[in-house]
Amino acid sequence: MENVLKQVFYWMPFFFGIGFIAPLIAQTMNLWHWQAPFGLSTTAFGLIIGGAWGLQTVIRGRWV
Amino acid sequence: MLEDPKLVQDAIKAPVEPALYKPALDSGGARAIPLGRDDGLDRHTRRNLRKEEIEIARQFHGGRMWPYAVAAFGCFALWVSFFPLAIMGYLNLPLACLISCVIATGGYVTSHEAMHSNIARKGEKLRWLNEAVGAVSTIPIVFPFSMARIMHLEHHYHCNDPLKDPDYTDEAPNWWMAIYKTWYNRQPGVDGSIHHYKRILAEMGTPEAQRALKETMLLQLFFMAVLFTMSWNGYAIEAALLWWLPRHVGLSYIRFYLSWAPHHPREGKTGRYENTNLFKSKLGHVMSMGMQYHIIHHMYPGIPNHRTKHAYYAMRHILEARGVDVSPLPPVGGPAVKGS
Repeated sequence: MENVLKQVFYWMPFFFGIGFIAPLIAQTMNLWHWQAPFGLSTTAFGLIIGGAWGLQTVIRGRWV
Repeated sequence: MLEDPKLVQDAIKAPVEPALYKPALDSGGARAIPLGRDDGLDRHTRRNLRKEEIEIARQFHGGRMWPYAVAAFGCFALWVSFFPLAIMGYLNLPLACLISCVIATGGYVTSHEAMHSNIARKGEKLRWLNEAVGAVSTIPIVFPFSMARIMHLEHHYHCNDPLKDPDYTDEAPNWWMAIYKTWYNRQPGVDGSIHHYKRILAEMGTPEAQRALKETMLLQLFFMAVLFTMSWNGYAIEAALLWWLPRHVGLSYIRFYLSWAPHHPREGKTGRYENTNLFKSKLGHVMSMGMQYHIIHHMYPGIPNHRTKHAYYAMRHILEARGVDVSPLPPVGGPAVKGS
């Protein structure tokens, strides 16, 4: 159980990216009527940005 | 009764006899009385000053603490109500975000009183209220009371010790670097802020520390669960403006005003009269959460936050005698000399 929780917290920035940042990006774009590039839906675009951002945070240990 | 208004007034108005705390000097400037420490006071003078200091401090302990409980529960209830109201569309989100930032920040003040058991001590009838105030106050900043209390008391025990003071990581050379550091220390790979606290608790290994670690983990998981659930149900902006952003604003504000400003510069300043600074806040007394007088809190944690200002003016002459730079906060009506 302890190892599972350690892993959950280790990967938390990635989960945060897809669980919170992705829908936040999508809903903000929808609010301001912005179109996602390459014909993507705003949700798909949010997932790409949020997932990638969270993943780099797991690797680098910094959001920016 | 601890407070007698006449005694307090007398203490404030009492003329200070310089001979009481100025060391006697011979004609050559050498000290006539052997002195112990760097404050230039002999043992007898220090003891007299300490007795007077304790006498004044006694008058400011206690008092009405119920406003802290009302503020804690009222603000928490208001903040929780924002979530259903936002989902139902009855809320002005920018205004609610601003109020949530104030609640998240101010919650630390009420929790802080509970950390020092100033609302009720162990064994007292209202002890449960003390614990409940502490517990609800820091939920908006996702900082469980159990962890907050242990870490804050460690900060008091080892103030400004680079290895033992859990808040030492807030140190920065100037105010804008201090603000930047409040954010930097929260980065997942940086050993600062709550990550630093977690490591210290794990090293402590006591049952209380284990409990604090467990509660921290549970509260963080709950926070994430709420954010994720709201976000994937179409309320990501609401979640961001009611919890995520106020938490970050609150944590940065608290770190700046409750940790950096009153203790900068930290290096080598571990003594009772040097580990905390007096400073003049540009945002004033209320907006700095009373931290201009934080030295009083470190000397007497049992004096509630709202009374540290009055306690400071009552014992200002003693602090000055003990070598504290009191120039940033002169006697009422006097000019401010130093800004920060």
